This record gives sequence, C-alpha cells and structure tokens, in this order.
Amino acid sequence: MVMRLRVCCLAAGAIAAALVVTSTAVRAEDQIIKIGALLPMSGPGSYFGAQDRQGIELALDEINKTGVSGYKFEVKFEDSACSPLPATQAAKRLLDQYKPDVVIGEECSDATLAIMPLMELAKVPLLNAGSSSIRITEPGNPWTFRIMPNEVMQGVDIATHAYKRLDARTAVLLYENTNAGIGNARVFNDTFTKLGGKVLADIGFGRDINDFTSIATRVAGVGKIDVIPTYTLEGQGLKITQALSQAGVTKGGGGQAIQLGTIWLPFGFEQKAGKAALGYIRIVQFDPTDERALVRNFVVAFKAKYRQDPTHLHAHAYDQIILIADTVKRGAKDAQSIRDGLAATKSFSGVTGSVEFDKTNQNDKMDTIHYMETLPDLSWKALKWN
Amino acid sequence: MAVVLQQAINGVVLGSLYVLVALGLTLVYGVLVQINFAHADIVTLGAFSAYFFVHGVGGGYIPGIAVAFVVGGILGWAVNAAVFAPLRERGGELLPLIATIGVSIAMENAMLAWFGPIPYAFDSPYSSEVIRFGGTFITVQNALIISVSVLTIGLLYAFMKFTFLGKALRAVSQDRETAGLMGINPNQLVMLTFVIASALAGMAGAMLGPVLVLTPFAGTSVIVKAFAIVIIGGFGNFDGTILAGLLVGLIESYTTQYLGPGMIDIIVFALLLVMLAIRPTGLIAEKREENV
Repeated sequence: MVMRLRVCCLAAGAIAAALVVTSTAVRAEDQIIKIGALLPMSGPGSYFGAQDRQGIELALDEINKTGVSGYKFEVKFEDSACSPLPATQAAKRLLDQYKPDVVIGEECSDATLAIMPLMELAKVPLLNAGSSSIRITEPGNPWTFRIMPNEVMQGVDIATHAYKRLDARTAVLLYENTNAGIGNARVFNDTFTKLGGKVLADIGFGRDINDFTSIATRVAGVGKIDVIPTYTLEGQGLKITQALSQAGVTKGGGGQAIQLGTIWLPFGFEQKAGKAALGYIRIVQFDPTDERALVRNFVVAFKAKYRQDPTHLHAHAYDQIILIADTVKRGAKDAQSIRDGLAATKSFSGVTGSVEFDKTNQNDKMDTIHYMETLPDLSWKALKWN
Repeated sequence: MAVVLQQAINGVVLGSLYVLVALGLTLVYGVLVQINFAHADIVTLGAFSAYFFVHGVGGGYIPGIAVAFVVGGILGWAVNAAVFAPLRERGGELLPLIATIGVSIAMENAMLAWFGPIPYAFDSPYSSEVIRFGGTFITVQNALIISVSVLTIGLLYAFMKFTFLGKALRAVSQDRETAGLMGINPNQLVMLTFVIASALAGMAGAMLGPVLVLTPFAGTSVIVKAFAIVIIGGFGNFDGTILAGLLVGLIESYTTQYLGPGMIDIIVFALLLVMLAIRPTGLIAEKREENV
C-alpha cells in the first residue's frame, strides 16, 4: 500500500513537473520574436549573406543578453541566392515552416521584388537594407520597408556631386543587366544629362561576364571620360576596375577618369583591386569614422567578436535587427504590430544613419549616404559631401 | 585600327583560356564518349590550389601553375577511381554522366564551405604589368596565358602523335574493343585520360584565377562556354576545339566592341544551334561514327 502510494506520488510529481516544464516552454516560445532572414548564401552574391550574418549575430548577442520588453529574438536563415526563383522558394519555405513575425532581406533587387508579393500575402513585414531598385518602394507596398537609400536617392546625389564637385562633363555607364543595375544607371544618366553632362557610352552586361578587357578597350576608345559610374557585385567590380586601369582609362592606370560607385561594394574592395582602385569614389552605407557613440561601440564590439573591421553590409544587417528590437520596445509583438511599429518609426538612429519611413515605406534620411575615396596607399578617406 | 587590333588580342587571350578548359572536356569525350560536368569544379580547385600556393605558402606564380596541374591530375585520378570507374563497370552511360553532376555539386559545396563565398583577389605578379605597343596593350599575365596555351597544345599534340600512350589513347578512342584485343588495357587508358584532362583543368584554373573572379563558382562561369566550344569544334576533336575556342573568344571581343556585351551569349549560342543544324560533326569533322 505504502509502495503504491509512493508510486502514485512520484507519478503525480512527474506529471506536475512535466506541466510546469511544458508551460514554461510555451511561455518561452511566446516570448520569442521570430525573424526570417532571406539572404544570398550561395552564388556570386553570397558575400552579402556571409557578412550580413555576422552583423545579425552581433545584434542578437547584444539584444538577447537582457531581451527587449520580455522578448528574445531568434533568426532563421534561408539561402535566397540573390536571384528571384531561389528567393521565392526560400521565402515560401520560411513562411510555411518557420512562420516568422518579420523577415529581413534580400540584398539583390530582383530577389527582393520576387519575395515582396509573398510577404504581402502572408501579412509578414519585410525589412530590406540592401536593394536599391525604385520598384521596391514605388508605388509602395504596406508590408515592405527599406532602410537603404534607393537608386533615385543615390543616383541623383552622386550624379549631382559628380557634375558640381568633380566638374565631370562626360561619363560612361557600366552596369549589370539586373533591375538594380539598369535602374541605377538610368537615374545617373537622367540626372547627369539634365545637369548638362554627356553620357558617351551605356554598357550593360550579364553576371556571367568575367573578363572585362574587351569592355575596357571599348571604353578607352570613346574619347575623354571624366567619370565612370559602375554598378556590379564585388567580383565583377574588381575585374572591371583592374581592366579599366590596364587599359589606361582610370587614374589607377595613369588615365583621367574617376570610377564612381554606389552601395554595392564592401570595404576591403580597394585592397583586393590594388592600385587600380586609386581615386575610386563610391557611396557606402556606413562610415566607420563616424564619431557617434553608437558607431564607436558597434565598431569595438564587432572587432572584439570577429577580429576584423566591419563593412556597411555588417552595419546594415545589424541595424535591421536593432530596428526590429526598437519596434518591440515600442510595444510590437507580432507581424501586424511590427509592421505598424516600423511605419511609425521616427528618427531611429542606427549605425548606418537615421531611419524614418515616408508614405512608401522608404527611409528618406540622406545621412545614410556616405562617400569615400580611395587614396594612393589603398586606404580611403571619407568625403563629407552630405 | 588600334581598337580592331586590340580586340583581336583580347579575343585570342579569351579564346586561349577557353581552349585550355575545353581541351580536357574534349579529351574525356573523345575517349569515353562521356560529358564530364565536374570539369568546371576541377578548374576552380586548380585556381584555389595556385592561389593558396602563392598567397598562403608564399610560392611563385609559375610553380603555382605546376602545383595546380598536379592537384588537378591527382583529383582526376581519385574521382575516377572512387566514382566513375566503378559506375562504368556496372554498364550503361547514364550512371557515370549523372555521377559527374553529383561530383560537381559536392565539390562546389565543399569549396564553398572551405573557401567561403567572398571573392578572392588572386594577384599574379604579371597581372599589373602591361606591355604597350602601337596603341594596343596586353598584360604580361595575358601574354603568359597565350604562351602556356600554345605550349600545352604543342605538348598534347606531341604526346598523342609520338608516344606509345598517346597512340594507345587514340586507338581506344577510335575502337575500345579492338584496342583491347591488341593488348591495350582500356581501363588504364581511361584513367590516364581522366588524369590528363583533370591536370589540364587544374592548370587552366591557375591561369584563369588572376583573370576571372575567384570564387567557388569560378569554373562554372566558363564551363558553359567551354561546352559550347566543344560542340562547335566537334566533340572529341582537338583541332576543332582549338579553332572554336579562338572563334568564340574573337566573337566575344568584337561583339563587346560593336554590339554590346549583352549580345555575346545570343551570338555564341546561335552559332552553336546553327552548327548543330547544319554541321553536327563540328567545324572539323573527324572520321568516326561517334562524332556524328
């Protein structure tokens, strides 16, 4: 009898313990904000994904130390490969299986444009930090937000600076044949010609082109060129820069032309391209020399964790997570309230700059546009153009 | 005129690179009547071997080419011994073909895991040295590519024409059964074919590394053109492959100059379709039934 009582007590205790554990587990699950990350982990754009992941993990380390308003954050990564089809498949997997509260990504405009309708259908907010195509926020999608300056903001700004600050009057456009490449080149063309400049050649190419000697030869033959706006991923960008230098077109090869770029290339590009990159002026989304405490702390924490300097990709991925945490701090707890929280964001200060969304959900703050110029020793200096 | 000449130089450089990659493909097809999809990844691994020899070990670039050649050869031997040969013994052509796709995907992902996705800057000491003459230019690296291609083609011709193994290889490619009856061991020669083709691929990778964007996908970006060249030249036909390689290189450079780079693939693959339609044996027809 005593034995039976003991067994009953043990069983009751075990059941009670199981209930406690289960309820704790449920409560713990309820307190987690699930973030899906659609990033290129394979293919030519995979350097985006690799660097984004580091920025995301640093942000998670920081916000999960104490949590935000009782919530912890977790991220599920899916490889969207910088391309529409794999991005769509990855988005469907993420939405069906992981059921995120918010999704960040993609880096490439074509991929972002492909996943936007899926997010809208699922009513899950998409926070983008790396795609520049104007079509992402024009005419506007209630579920898609972009913290990165779009192609019009970047293109108008750089074309204006090229004309007014660099006295550029002639340009050759080099760009990959993607939504982002074509769009960026078009905006530069429109702005530059409206100001009085002349575009001598407009050269688009596929991502499968690797040897740019023939293109550089063609560029060398078009006459005196002041600036060469270039819109490509890092790998092709390296080869273009080297080919233009070898052809004697750009400053790095003894020529006069200055290569211009927008937010496509990470820091470290100059060291890889070598002296061919001399004089290259490009927009970056993050200025590590920024004196704000926020930026200083980010740089120190990043170096401590990864023993390397952060790039703008690390920075904008980090900002995405911190911005989501900010919406949670303001009361968001699910997809709908995170969307509303993002829309209501006012003067959020991130390491890349300020964030405040206009009616199309585009961040309209220009302090996210930083300029840098490559110096002869392959270091760079920040140009205080904005 | 200088532009026309410059694009001719660019085309020959590009064509030489394609020929280096395509020769291994056509060699394997000539002997085994098998398409090797893993060839691209051996090219990539050759490029990485040379890269790490130069930038990791501190070796010279030219010895790095030799290292890539050896690594490619060893890899070819290993993959054939471990995967392709056992599948061939089971009979049928489909299994080894599918296996080459499997090996390719496995190698690509292994390289992605080992080397990461971020492009490597493979600086050959010759990449930045530019020779200028009469309004044209060529980097020393590109001059080296042409020289190595010419040397490789010459040595391969000599091997195939004047050595016993070369003659045996040609015999196996013409009629494997009869060659076997003559005392030639076809399996050993198939292995030799893989080793030579892979060594060439490794060497091609070392030459391509400083020219192309070095990532785990580098070989994939040239292999499609290499396949087109093998088809245009005639499967298994050396002369045709060399001619087609140079032709495609020149088409690319002149298309870039006069029509725009966006037209390159349209023209190259239109040529491929035309060749398949009107001359399926390739530019230079070989006297063998399998070539039809």
